[in-house]
Amino acid sequence: MSAEAPLRAPVADVADGPRPEAPPRRRGRTGRVLPALAFLVLLVAAWQVMAVLVDSLLVPGVGAVAAELVEVVADGSFVGELGATVLRVALGFALAAVVALPVGIAMGRSDLLRRFAEPAVLLGLTVPGLVWALLCVIWFGVGLANPVVAVALSSAPPLVLTTLQGVRSVDPDLLEMAHVYRFSRRVQLRRLWLPALAPALFAGARLGLSLGWKVVVLVEVFGMSSGVGYQLNNEFGSQNVAGVLAWTLLFAVVMAVLEYGVLQGLERRTGRWRKEVSV
Amino acid sequence: MTLTGSTRVHLSGLSKTFHDPRDGRARPVLRDFALDLAAGELVAVVGASGTGKSTLLHVVAGLVPPDAGEVSTVGADGGPPRLGMVFQQPRLLDWCTARQNVVLALEAAGLPGGGADEVLAAVGLADHADAFPTTLSGGQRQRVAVARAFAIEPDLLLLDEPFSALDEITARRLRLLLQELWMARPRAGLLVTHNPLEAALLADRVVVLAGSPARVAAEYRVDRSRPRSPEDPLLFDLHTRIVADLA
Repeated sequence: MSAEAPLRAPVADVADGPRPEAPPRRRGRTGRVLPALAFLVLLVAAWQVMAVLVDSLLVPGVGAVAAELVEVVADGSFVGELGATVLRVALGFALAAVVALPVGIAMGRSDLLRRFAEPAVLLGLTVPGLVWALLCVIWFGVGLANPVVAVALSSAPPLVLTTLQGVRSVDPDLLEMAHVYRFSRRVQLRRLWLPALAPALFAGARLGLSLGWKVVVLVEVFGMSSGVGYQLNNEFGSQNVAGVLAWTLLFAVVMAVLEYGVLQGLERRTGRWRKEVSV
Repeated sequence: MTLTGSTRVHLSGLSKTFHDPRDGRARPVLRDFALDLAAGELVAVVGASGTGKSTLLHVVAGLVPPDAGEVSTVGADGGPPRLGMVFQQPRLLDWCTARQNVVLALEAAGLPGGGADEVLAAVGLADHADAFPTTLSGGQRQRVAVARAFAIEPDLLLLDEPFSALDEITARRLRLLLQELWMARPRAGLLVTHNPLEAALLADRVVVLAGSPARVAAEYRVDRSRPRSPEDPLLFDLHTRIVADLA
């Protein structure tokens, strides 16, 4: 502001006062971890009860699975196997995002494009992951392209769909405001489009990644000689149910790290502005 | 046409027709509308809902193209005017703090962002500069919107029913706040409202729209120096006459 007459208007806060404070959000780390932990303990206990009741080689007890888990981890090769799978998913998901984001945004902005590309998205959502896996094994053989393309094909459609919905939910009133105040394109993208799209992008990332995990295991079963899927197939071949469960658990740990460590952290950062709701 | 002298907005022969999305029927909202707005003048356009007031403002802001007619706006430097606009809803970026909302407008206008705090203090929100809009009350949010509009030192201030979504007590307080801000730095201003008293209180000139498509039913000059009081009998008298024109 330049040095003109000073702006000052005494305004008392009475009816127009601040909202009552939201209840404190953090009840400490333990408070947040406890419910999830309780579920896990309950799951393990229920499994053990089932194993005892069924009393079959096909349903190994918690002890047998734990022993298998220790064996796999102690071996040390699991890092390479998990790493290979994670890398394939990461590359495939990145490829999907690079294609899906512009396509989704374009579809959200143009009715013609949306009508044109909608069948492709619906078709992509309908094709089972197993079919993508089989086709990619046939087309791309044992190279890295095989799992990457399969993951991309299965995770791109939900990403396009959520991006499209996000774009269409951006408030046109805010776009008008940005136009009147002459926000630059860069500012509009960073301050308006990205924050408005963030919830949709997170939903898309979750959905896309979960489909990616499923298809990469199939690809590894059929056409790869490394990775979690390959190991699962090995354990299956030797009828080692505890081994199958141990590898599945390891896989779940990686998923949990990604969800709690990366996705939820990012989401909290971008969602700081959201009002806490106490009911 | 180039505007001469102190004229900031020149509208003539303005027409706009909307088509009902359900039956496709044409609904003319403005026909052959004319208005001139001088620098330092605040003109209020009063009309019932649906008389095309908001459309008029959107045409002036460049958000809606007119079907026919001439729209010329000019800034103090002869170029396109810098617009400050207060909408019926605050239209803030919910993920940016009150200060950031003002700073973004300042930077887009090529002004230093440091001025945001002064303007927020002027609207009584010095303590809430770091608050996100979702944690503010409706009145506070609208005050941020008012601060944003004044902060950029606009050539032309457009006010689209700025206080109609607020309760009467809050609206009344914000009208007086607006008057103080206006007195500190008068610009060219166009206020559309369905509230005759608000128009009489704030404006130098009141244009009353009535009918469909809207035509100018009456025009009043408000010869009262600022600051004005909402209890002023002269303003109340004017309010009564506007109500009669609208009926």
